[in-house]
Amino acid sequence: MKTLIIGLGNPILGDDGVGWVVAEELRAALAQSRLPGSSSEAPEIDCASLGGLSLMERLTGSERAILVDSIFTGNKPVGTVSQFTLEELPDLSAGHSASAHDTSLRNALAIGRSMDIRLPADQDVLIVAIEAEAVYDFSQELSPAVAAAVPLAVQAVLNLID
Amino acid sequence: MQRITIDPITRLEGHGKIEIFLNDAGNVANTYFQIPELRGFERFCVGRPVEEMPLLTNRICGVCPEAHHMAAAKAVDAVYHVDIPSTAKKLRELLYMAFYCTDHTTHFYALGGPDFIMGPDAPVAERNILGVIHKVGLEIGGKVIQMRKYGHTVVEMIGGRKVHPCTSIPGGLTKGITEEQRLEIEKMGRWAIEFAQFSLQAFNDIVLGNPQYVDLILGDIYAHQTYYMGLVDANNKVNFYDGKVRVVGPDGKEFVKYEPKDYAANIAEHVEPWTYLKFPYLKNVGWKGFVDGPDSGVYMATPLSRLNTSDGMATPLAQAEYEKFYATLKGKPVHQRLAIHWARLIELLYAAEHWVELATDPEITSPNFHVIPTEKPTEGVGIVEAPRGTLTHHYWTDERGVVTKVNLIVGTTNNYAPITMSIKKAAASLIKEGNVNEGLLNMVEMAFRAYDPCFGCATHALPGQMPLQVTIHDASGNPVKVLKQFVD
Repeated sequence: MKTLIIGLGNPILGDDGVGWVVAEELRAALAQSRLPGSSSEAPEIDCASLGGLSLMERLTGSERAILVDSIFTGNKPVGTVSQFTLEELPDLSAGHSASAHDTSLRNALAIGRSMDIRLPADQDVLIVAIEAEAVYDFSQELSPAVAAAVPLAVQAVLNLID
Repeated sequence: MQRITIDPITRLEGHGKIEIFLNDAGNVANTYFQIPELRGFERFCVGRPVEEMPLLTNRICGVCPEAHHMAAAKAVDAVYHVDIPSTAKKLRELLYMAFYCTDHTTHFYALGGPDFIMGPDAPVAERNILGVIHKVGLEIGGKVIQMRKYGHTVVEMIGGRKVHPCTSIPGGLTKGITEEQRLEIEKMGRWAIEFAQFSLQAFNDIVLGNPQYVDLILGDIYAHQTYYMGLVDANNKVNFYDGKVRVVGPDGKEFVKYEPKDYAANIAEHVEPWTYLKFPYLKNVGWKGFVDGPDSGVYMATPLSRLNTSDGMATPLAQAEYEKFYATLKGKPVHQRLAIHWARLIELLYAAEHWVELATDPEITSPNFHVIPTEKPTEGVGIVEAPRGTLTHHYWTDERGVVTKVNLIVGTTNNYAPITMSIKKAAASLIKEGNVNEGLLNMVEMAFRAYDPCFGCATHALPGQMPLQVTIHDASGNPVKVLKQFVD
């Protein structure tokens, strides 16, 4: 199954950049663990600041996507790692933004599919979310609780692709 | 006193929260549109080499990174007192036209257009781009995706990366384009012209062909008599990349025209206690509050403002549409905010036409796309027209070119005061003696959606649909009614 892993967020907006950090750690972890001559297809890893139609366009050609992003629900301790599919996104209001300038990812995927673009099904878009707090201050640093959650998020993604 | 909260807003970048306060008679006393401000950008930039600014600032906003990249590139050129080669200017402008086509297309079909194509009264679940595709036909979805793809391709060819370009440096660009690339860009540009014409035809058929929509556009609910701002070229034609800032009054006459470096002598910022964001206004008119008229320094900077501010469009097909626009809406300037959507499509056509002009310019493949700056860096201002308003970057450096101070006035910020006024006017027309019209949510949203605002300027993207929730409080502040959209 062709898998694309994307760390989402803004790398200069504090905890919002946690998706990028997790993606970089994953890149290193997978490079280390991968045996020479392994026959299975390696997942592609990328970092992006995209949403809606642009994110759908980036997912073109993949069969499964794992999105790593910060989330602000306000009702979980900062640093909590949660996991769900796009289909079961627990509360549509939960994301601290949906890059709503264009449309939601779910709408964008439906549009793409209606254009016969090869895209993963909603249940194959997996989201690993890290509860964040400091997303309004420009900084390249993660807050301590979010930084501490990075290895947990990395492991969550590794479990998904195992 | 009754209190109504709309929080947050569907289809708006970043967070927004609207609070409506009613007086004892149950009519609108005041409205507050609050946006959390992103903090600490200046602190983040100080101490960095100024040539990093075009790369850093394009991370400020997830919607218009190309606009920040361009304003920053121009400001950095100004810091180094360098006049970049003609080919470099044209390449940057070509990238920018492709970006404009992508951005205006996305706004019209995904954000603003659904209000008209599906109708303001359509269920919210259908009032989106999917609804548009179902109504107008699958073909339209394919065209939108194709337009975006071509725009991204040109940005990547010239800017080195999709979405977040990285090739502008002090003195020009790090790379040019080949003849093979030029041919491809020209071909895509010609397709973009056809797409823009198709979009204007769709607007003509669906919106202008419906008397109800025309009445809505021309009605008073969405009209404000303010000043207008936009960049113009030497012939006072609309320009997105370069020129002087021109401001016209509510009567359409030129109030001032100034060089970008003189912005601070013309623009001041008003502070209100209820929001961290500042309200820019015309310094030489003065701040008189959130009011219309020639004595109020409130100005608007949008596609409609650019048309109002200019004497026309610099390309023939867009010029013909410009003339039709003012003939249909009976006079200039046009004060009706919903006309911004139409103005946006005229700009889309101009951008596509200018894209082809630049792609067929003999200089565009020249290897002369950079000069080495030799002057000592000091300070500099760069202004471009972002799709959603005039964008100003101002940097100060020490003699090594290390940033010591930064000031930005971003596109949407220009419109903070007029948006606040539009929300109040729409709310006041729909809330009478405590009766809240069911259409309130969308009519209020339509008021600010026309401005295409993106206050959040953050690029985060956890997938989902923004919810809309209105809470109505009684005189004691207790919630008595909650209206929700997209909240499960």
